[in-house]
Amino acid sequence: MIGVLLIFEVIGLVALGGYEFLQVRWRGIDLESLQHQAVEVAVFALFVPSAVLTLLSALSFLFLHRRGWLLAAIAQGLSLAVCLWLYSLFQPGYVYPIMAYCVLMSLYLNSQDVRVVFRPRQGPHEN
Amino acid sequence: MKTESPGMEAVTALLRRFEPVIRSTAGDKFYPMDVEPYVRACSLWVQRSGEEAVRIVPGGELSLDRLVQQPMDGAGAVHFLKFTDAEDLGSDSRGGRLRLFRRRAKDRKESRRAFRAGRGRLARVGYFSRFVDALYSIALLARGRVPGESAAAASVAYERIMAEQEHYRYHARVLRQDGWVVLQYWLFYPFNDWRSGFFGANDHEADWEKVFVYLSESEGEVSPEWVAYAAHNYTGDNLRRRWDDPEVEKVGEHPVIYVGAGSHASYYAPGEYLTELTLPLPSPLARVTQAVRTFWKTRLGQYVGDGEEDGGSGYFSIPFVDYARGDGLSVGEGGDRSWDEPRLIANPTPDWVSGYRGLWGLYARDPFEGEDAPAGPMYNRDKSVSRAWYDPIGWAGLDKVPPPTETLEAILEQRAAIISRCGALRDEIDDKSRWLKKLGAELAAMRDRSHLDAPYEEGTRRVAELSGELDRLRARLATDEAVSESLDEYAERLRAGERDPARAHISRARRPASEEELRVSRVAEAWAAVSVSLMLISFVGIAMFEREHLISMLVFSIAFFAFVEAGFRGRLVHLVSSANIGLAVVSTLIIIYEFFWQFVVAAVLVVGLYVLWDNLRELRR
Repeated sequence: MIGVLLIFEVIGLVALGGYEFLQVRWRGIDLESLQHQAVEVAVFALFVPSAVLTLLSALSFLFLHRRGWLLAAIAQGLSLAVCLWLYSLFQPGYVYPIMAYCVLMSLYLNSQDVRVVFRPRQGPHEN
Repeated sequence: MKTESPGMEAVTALLRRFEPVIRSTAGDKFYPMDVEPYVRACSLWVQRSGEEAVRIVPGGELSLDRLVQQPMDGAGAVHFLKFTDAEDLGSDSRGGRLRLFRRRAKDRKESRRAFRAGRGRLARVGYFSRFVDALYSIALLARGRVPGESAAAASVAYERIMAEQEHYRYHARVLRQDGWVVLQYWLFYPFNDWRSGFFGANDHEADWEKVFVYLSESEGEVSPEWVAYAAHNYTGDNLRRRWDDPEVEKVGEHPVIYVGAGSHASYYAPGEYLTELTLPLPSPLARVTQAVRTFWKTRLGQYVGDGEEDGGSGYFSIPFVDYARGDGLSVGEGGDRSWDEPRLIANPTPDWVSGYRGLWGLYARDPFEGEDAPAGPMYNRDKSVSRAWYDPIGWAGLDKVPPPTETLEAILEQRAAIISRCGALRDEIDDKSRWLKKLGAELAAMRDRSHLDAPYEEGTRRVAELSGELDRLRARLATDEAVSESLDEYAERLRAGERDPARAHISRARRPASEEELRVSRVAEAWAAVSVSLMLISFVGIAMFEREHLISMLVFSIAFFAFVEAGFRGRLVHLVSSANIGLAVVSTLIIIYEFFWQFVVAAVLVVGLYVLWDNLRELRR
């Protein structure tokens, strides 16, 4: 389930990035005075590392690796951090759906049921 | 009801039979002593509110009898003893100061030779705790505290007393309470040098520690059942151990106590104990925090971590290590020194115990009280009677445990009471059930009679109420029957000689640091020592040289320190989840801020659609 949701996230990121990329007429861009919209779309590339991490974590979940949770959590945190940074600079429209999805994923990953399953192994309980 | 035991010789013999063996930590300088020479070496002072402290009796002129012959004090006045008087030691003169300086240097050298702190307390606890620890140390400069030379001066005074007559003595009291015979061993140390000698929380003159042994009595014979060792201000179930618990080390019939270096807290096993001094949040803030935690956990189903699920009132904790290694001097059966004849606190209670309500050492006027000397065995610092004195059973959580000789009787009595209650409940259920049936018949007769609408509604209400009450009674009966059966089985098990698990009552036992915890790497140790200062310096550097990127640089540096810290402490998962939660909360607030009206419109639409769907569903029926 989590693996599938993470794959949806990667697909969404790729689709959103592609859509934003196609909206800009790259041929007419003057490198001396970069258009605001072009910059907004170019910085979408910052989501590439988190998308890769998300994909890796999705695969980890699908192959039932315990480390998948940590990768997924780092990916969500990275995405949210990028979103907040971009929001503080440009407030591009695409950050909101990404933010919303990442918030829900973060809460789901931190939910009691999920955490209990993917909790790191510990030594014998000490009173 | 409790009464003092008669027969001084028998009492002394009983006390000596179970007297503890104390095992100190190498480097400790003070051992349990008699109060009489201590009091003789002290001066007596009184501190009245808004005035300077006044000396009432100079050092050398005080005795246990004279201690209680004090004039009536005014409101807020605090009487206290002073063991290390600067005037007595001559530290005001140049020669005196030099002597004291030499003595401190000698003590430090000896202490360093005998005691090594080992891997630091700071490396074993969190970043925030280390920061609070730094603030706590700074606050000590402003708070009232025991002067730096006091430990050295106390050491000189103690050596002087011991040179006159070397002795190791405890003070003891025997009493009966709720079927138990309680042996109270009160250990008096002239000085607590935990802070100055062993990196602990506080220093103070005088230290009263206690160890209680609980005996059961059968046909004139006593047998030990429980022990409770005092450690700091802890009370309750976790403090006591059953006599047959393997954790309770014994030499013959003498329980062994591992004494914390400087703090003199008592432990069952040797080792290094991480003690966290928890500072509670202000109550309104604590309530809000608790409400948020409850919402986070129960409504949102979020994970709150191991050991944090029960909340807890304190969120700021300062780490200290109690070194109870047991590698120093041992006193008692089979030890390096033997106990001298105990000083009995018999009935009637001696005046020095009941008549002197003041502090047994320097009153440092510390608002946290950590640096103030304690009151005597009978009192708290605020002059109220101490629970360990008037209720030693409840102090160790033993008030709910009957002595073994009374357990079966208690079970059978409780079972009989429950059976009798079940009978009464059955009668009540029968009565109410019959009444409910009659009411039901009455209701059926009134149904569809418009002129009886009002009594019908009233009857319906009464039927509902009675039905609910019957349900509660039946549930209670079922529970009582189950409890009665369980008591029956328990009684059978006891008759067969079975006992409860020795540690069933312990919810959180204090354990020494494990080998793994003590194997903190040198890099982690060094990091723990410098990290807080380094972080503060980097903040200042950023504020001075990177003002243009102040926020981003601060965020980056905090993230860096947090990441390194989490790596060293193996808490990367915790860090990532905490950071995610923080980012998620900020993102949610931004989304709500940006799309507030859209959310309102969507909510109204959803409500409208739901009402429409509900009405249409009703139409289709």
